[in-house]
Amino acid sequence: MVKMKGSILALLLVLALSLSGCTRGSTGIVVSGSTTVEPIAEVAGEDYHKAHPEVSVLVSGLGSSAGIEAVGITKTADIGTSSRSLKDEEKKLGLTVIPIAHDGIAVVVNPANTVTNLQLNDLRDIYAGKITNWNEVGGPDEPIVLVNRDESSGTRDAFTSFVMGDTPFSLDAVVLPGTGQVREVISRTKGAIGYISEGFVNKQVRALNINGIPPSPANIASNKYPLSRSLYFLARADISPEAQGYIDYVLSDAIQQGPVRDAGYLPVTGGER
Amino acid sequence: MAPRLPLRQQDDSLRAPDLAETTPQYKKAELIMVSRATQIKERALLLLFFLCAIVAVLGVVLIFAFVAVKAVPLFKEIGFLNFIAGTKWSVAKEQFGVVPFIVGSVVVTVGALAIGAPLAILTALFLSEVAGPKARAVIRPAVELLAGIPSVVYGFFGVTVVAPIISRVFGGAGFGPLTAWIVLSIMIVPTIAMLSEDALDSIPMGIREASFAMGATPWQTIYKVVLPAAKIGIIDAAILGMGRAIGETMAVLMIVGNAPQMFAGLTKPISTLTSQIVLGMGYSSGAFRTALFGMAALLFLISMALVLIVRLLSHTDREA
Repeated sequence: MVKMKGSILALLLVLALSLSGCTRGSTGIVVSGSTTVEPIAEVAGEDYHKAHPEVSVLVSGLGSSAGIEAVGITKTADIGTSSRSLKDEEKKLGLTVIPIAHDGIAVVVNPANTVTNLQLNDLRDIYAGKITNWNEVGGPDEPIVLVNRDESSGTRDAFTSFVMGDTPFSLDAVVLPGTGQVREVISRTKGAIGYISEGFVNKQVRALNINGIPPSPANIASNKYPLSRSLYFLARADISPEAQGYIDYVLSDAIQQGPVRDAGYLPVTGGER
Repeated sequence: MAPRLPLRQQDDSLRAPDLAETTPQYKKAELIMVSRATQIKERALLLLFFLCAIVAVLGVVLIFAFVAVKAVPLFKEIGFLNFIAGTKWSVAKEQFGVVPFIVGSVVVTVGALAIGAPLAILTALFLSEVAGPKARAVIRPAVELLAGIPSVVYGFFGVTVVAPIISRVFGGAGFGPLTAWIVLSIMIVPTIAMLSEDALDSIPMGIREASFAMGATPWQTIYKVVLPAAKIGIIDAAILGMGRAIGETMAVLMIVGNAPQMFAGLTKPISTLTSQIVLGMGYSSGAFRTALFGMAALLFLISMALVLIVRLLSHTDREA
């Protein structure tokens, strides 16, 4: 055990050294903000650095609010990232808002379940533990088995803000640390309900309509589907050409059809507002 | 053993001295006559052994100090009572009561021990008292191999095999204490079985022979003579198995359900200290992180207590 910890530390040290080696002697772009956007920005940053060795991209995940502050107020970042649209006071900062991906959260059940639609407030009551049987929402007499994500999950964050608000989750839910596991458990449990990014829905599970609206790509891109949001890059007017190059790269097919889709998000077809 | 020449009379100074024989009477004076190179080599090697031994001690001290220091703000940020006696855990609401996890860890561990210990002790008895050389040659490596399986594989087995069966029989998603008991009890079998077997093997043959001579059957010999004689060693083994169960993380994380609620039933998801630490460690900060270190310190104290019990028991065993 002691030895294992030692070797992990050594590994981290090597990793840190090699990472710091990368940034030497090149222009740095600082991208900070949403932890949801972080993985995409990071992959894009590494690829961009490979194509343009003179530019290196430093990505950090501090949360959307901190990202907006970093680019708009303290100016410690070249690009801010956010998984929510700007609040009124943040709009006054004069930042350019660039959507880089659309994210829809699908509420999924076992394919054998006969329920096809849930009202948003019923969904909330289910996850709060107030509705415990499918027959209360027009389904068969089958106890509802709640499947939740762990608190570090960005999907859970989004689900909380779309559905739960201030209502606490039922504690009786199984907490699983990954999308794949959620799908797996729902596919073999008749009464189970869970939520995953729309891009990860496959034949193992069936996505429900919410308020009668199916989680189709079109409905998510237009934010018509109630559990949808967009991910944004935020930039100041005095953006450097290097940072602009990086943004263009993130909006190109290489990232949009690759890492964005891999993360379960929908690509944007470009465009500043 | 044949008497050996003292070191100083050997002309071949490059020859490594037999440590097992020289160490007990090891004196500086004996080394003076050998070449300087050998002296340095000797000293260097002994120093190396010492350093290796000290690494383990340093490791324990440093890790404990690290965990303790990180956990200290707990008293101010959360409050010791809110932490150790609180029953509500919610990161969003900054409630960090760990009672549900302590209960979860205890439930999971005790259940695993209740299933795993008899299984392991009977295995050890079979290997030590009953099995012929052929059966032993098959079973013993199998048990040892069980110890070498990575815990994530056990977890995977639990998720894909045990949980679906539990789900079909009892309803729910199949995650909870029952699933954890089944998987963990298999995981702790090798620890307990191997140590118990050592304890049984250390019982002198003469005791068994005396028992047989009195007309006792093999079973009577086992439970009236051998088992009582090896009792302390077997209890030691069970406690070490318990330590493995309570510290097990990956497999438990995958099968216990991780719901931060109080134990309410064998098939209701619960959470343990270890699984909760892993789930939270990656993204925690502030009071949350402090709470996780507090939980780690708690685990550390529990395993320290277990080791202490083993030491005390072994001690009384030697005295008796």
